[in-house]
Amino acid sequence: MLSFALLYGLISLTMVAGYRHSYPTPRERAMFAQSFGANKAVRLFYGAPHDLLTIGGYTEWRLVGVGSIFAAVWGVLAAVRAMRAEEDAGRQELVLAGTVGRRSAYVAALGAIAVGATILWLATFLGLVVARLPAGSAASLSLATISPVLVFTGVGAVASQVAATRRLALELASGVIVLSFLLRVVADTSSGVGWLRWTTPLGWAEELRPFTGTRPAALVPPVIAGALLLLLAGSIAVRRDIGDGLLHGKDSATPRLRLLGSPTALALRNERGSLLAWLAGAGMYALVIGLLATTFSTRDISANLQEQLRKLGGISITTPTGALGLYFLFFVLAVSLFACAQVSAIRREEADGQLETLLVLPVGRSRWLIGRLVLAASGAAAIALTAATLAWAGAASQHADVSLTRMLAAGGNCLPTALLFLGLAALAFAVVPRASAGIAYALVLGTFLWQLLGALLDAPHWLVDLTPFQHVALVPAQPFRPAAAAALLAIGAATATAAVVVFRRRDLEGA
Amino acid sequence: MSAIRTEGLSKRYRDTLALDDLDLTVEEGEVYGYLGPNGAGKTTTIRLLLGLHRPTGGRAELFGIDAWRDPVEAHRRVAYVAGEPFLWPALTSAETFEYFARLRGGTDTAYRDRLIERFQLDADRKVRALSKGNRQKVQLIAALASRADLLLLDEPTSGLDPLMEIAFREAVLEAKQRGQTVFLSSHIMSEVEALCDRVGILRAGRLVDEGTLAELRHLSASTVEITFAGTAPDLGHLPGVEIVAAGSNALRCEVTGSVAPLLAALAGLPVIALMSHERSLEEIFLHHYDTGDGRVSP
Repeated sequence: MLSFALLYGLISLTMVAGYRHSYPTPRERAMFAQSFGANKAVRLFYGAPHDLLTIGGYTEWRLVGVGSIFAAVWGVLAAVRAMRAEEDAGRQELVLAGTVGRRSAYVAALGAIAVGATILWLATFLGLVVARLPAGSAASLSLATISPVLVFTGVGAVASQVAATRRLALELASGVIVLSFLLRVVADTSSGVGWLRWTTPLGWAEELRPFTGTRPAALVPPVIAGALLLLLAGSIAVRRDIGDGLLHGKDSATPRLRLLGSPTALALRNERGSLLAWLAGAGMYALVIGLLATTFSTRDISANLQEQLRKLGGISITTPTGALGLYFLFFVLAVSLFACAQVSAIRREEADGQLETLLVLPVGRSRWLIGRLVLAASGAAAIALTAATLAWAGAASQHADVSLTRMLAAGGNCLPTALLFLGLAALAFAVVPRASAGIAYALVLGTFLWQLLGALLDAPHWLVDLTPFQHVALVPAQPFRPAAAAALLAIGAATATAAVVVFRRRDLEGA
Repeated sequence: MSAIRTEGLSKRYRDTLALDDLDLTVEEGEVYGYLGPNGAGKTTTIRLLLGLHRPTGGRAELFGIDAWRDPVEAHRRVAYVAGEPFLWPALTSAETFEYFARLRGGTDTAYRDRLIERFQLDADRKVRALSKGNRQKVQLIAALASRADLLLLDEPTSGLDPLMEIAFREAVLEAKQRGQTVFLSSHIMSEVEALCDRVGILRAGRLVDEGTLAELRHLSASTVEITFAGTAPDLGHLPGVEIVAAGSNALRCEVTGSVAPLLAALAGLPVIALMSHERSLEEIFLHHYDTGDGRVSP
């Protein structure tokens, strides 16, 4: 919750400040609108822009484009946590056995989510106001950005009633997010199918257009759809058996004896689904980036933007290698987040008590933790190299001049940073187990945003140098930096070793 | 060599002293009952014996191996059943057994199949779909089938129905016959009374009493009720005898230690009826927890 609020506050602040900083004059803005606004790769992630000549229009495009996806993810996570995770863990039974009825439990869960959404709205609003946007416009822009929470809380709520486990509920709801996103991509990048935008909840948020011809009518579909979904979920919730879902999973199975040989093998067996999802997601994204790497026009880019890019390392986004180099910075971030997710799974195994069951067998603590860290590192490598290969395949199919070796180097270049964060997160797990997942995510997102923000604020060099992302070379646009990579790896290895030593000496801690 | 030996074992969690200077020895082949109410420190003791938590003071050894310093070596000879079963929800029972067996490096599969039948467990069901009692059975069967030298059982029958409790007792007696050591933490008196050679009673982190059932009974008073043909005499002056209630021709007294002085005094008196009963484990237990004002406290 806190990390999402922080994310919204910082993003909204940096969007406005960044635009003002990079495109101070109308001429530069016009050039930006022509080059970037028309680019399909950019539209893919941010949606279609309506006006890139004003701060409001630009912020609306970027913030709604990205913020609505985060809002969808948050809505699903919040709903599934409140409506299925508690029940999956058996706690909801205790609540309902008391004087709390099904209906009031459901309403209370919705109330908690509403409070959370209000906090997100407030964080976005404050970020925009601090960046000196007028309060009225800031309020409606924040509303547009957060609006998908309504529909996707409904999606998460229905998924929680349909699925009997937290994992399945998350998988179903994530499928809806991906589908909505893909529909939006088609609507924003293909000509003549703009109406498709009205078929996806993420498109409704785009159509609100707080700065470029406000359309309050676009609030009608999300409100109606959200209300219907929540009513549907509520009516199932008060009727069904507690602990069960409409989709009743199989309770029995013939034994499958693969991957039972060690704790690491079982972890791979249990995490297989989420690993495949990461591979598929990163792979698709990389393929699309590769396909579009040649589409950046060679037209003039604003002098100021070129200055910005020069600061990032003197690369040009108009060449395929330049575009791929810039986009792969996001893979560095993604793979680092995967490392956090793995440490969070490690901690869950301790909190849920299974670790105790394991450690009373002849299984050593070091063996267990090292095995899990190796698994996390291998997963990160698999994701990075898959992304690199598919990005190469996409670019090569468009006859871009990028070799597979250089793209694999770009993939490998993601790993030192990811392993650094894996080591830091592992140390957090050893020292402060209960707070470890939060610390890990906050470190990655905080240092990433600080790298963006620090450059904009012209912060002192040594302060910006604190973030690992500052030291990542933009391979394939820039040569790989072995010294920086070795330093990141060394810190990662040292913190991971410290984590194993500390973990050997502490008590196990439950939830 | 002792199966379990602790010396001055203590554990402090922030400001609570959960276990205070415990000296405990369990010999190989013994079935040891570890009694105490909730919060007395039973589970803490077991966590220290398994090297899951680090002792604040003292040490714990299993078969001469330090439990904290070398847990893996110690665990090769130990099987543990936790009071709360934490297993992997997506695995079936059969898969769970296989996982345990591989991590342990072998198990008695023929005995395991017999136990599955005896405990009436459907091994193809996923752990997610099992009730608490059935998950408890999974743990029990895995532990018993391992044929480990030492079974550490933490309230193993919580959640089992009476029929399954009988199956459990049978299995423990089988383990005893095979020479396995059993450490049974429990608050079910009848279970401990039926199974255990020796009993330790834990109160607020301290071992307040320990011994065989006979010894514990010996140390504590037995109750004697006597009815006389005429007026009851005053016997309160006899050593170890305390009058609890006196009527005109009947007495009820508690005798601590030997009953010989009382019997000698009664020999010349017109006794019509004499009834004596030893204290049950439950009474001994309550005796240790009785605060004197009629309430029972940990």
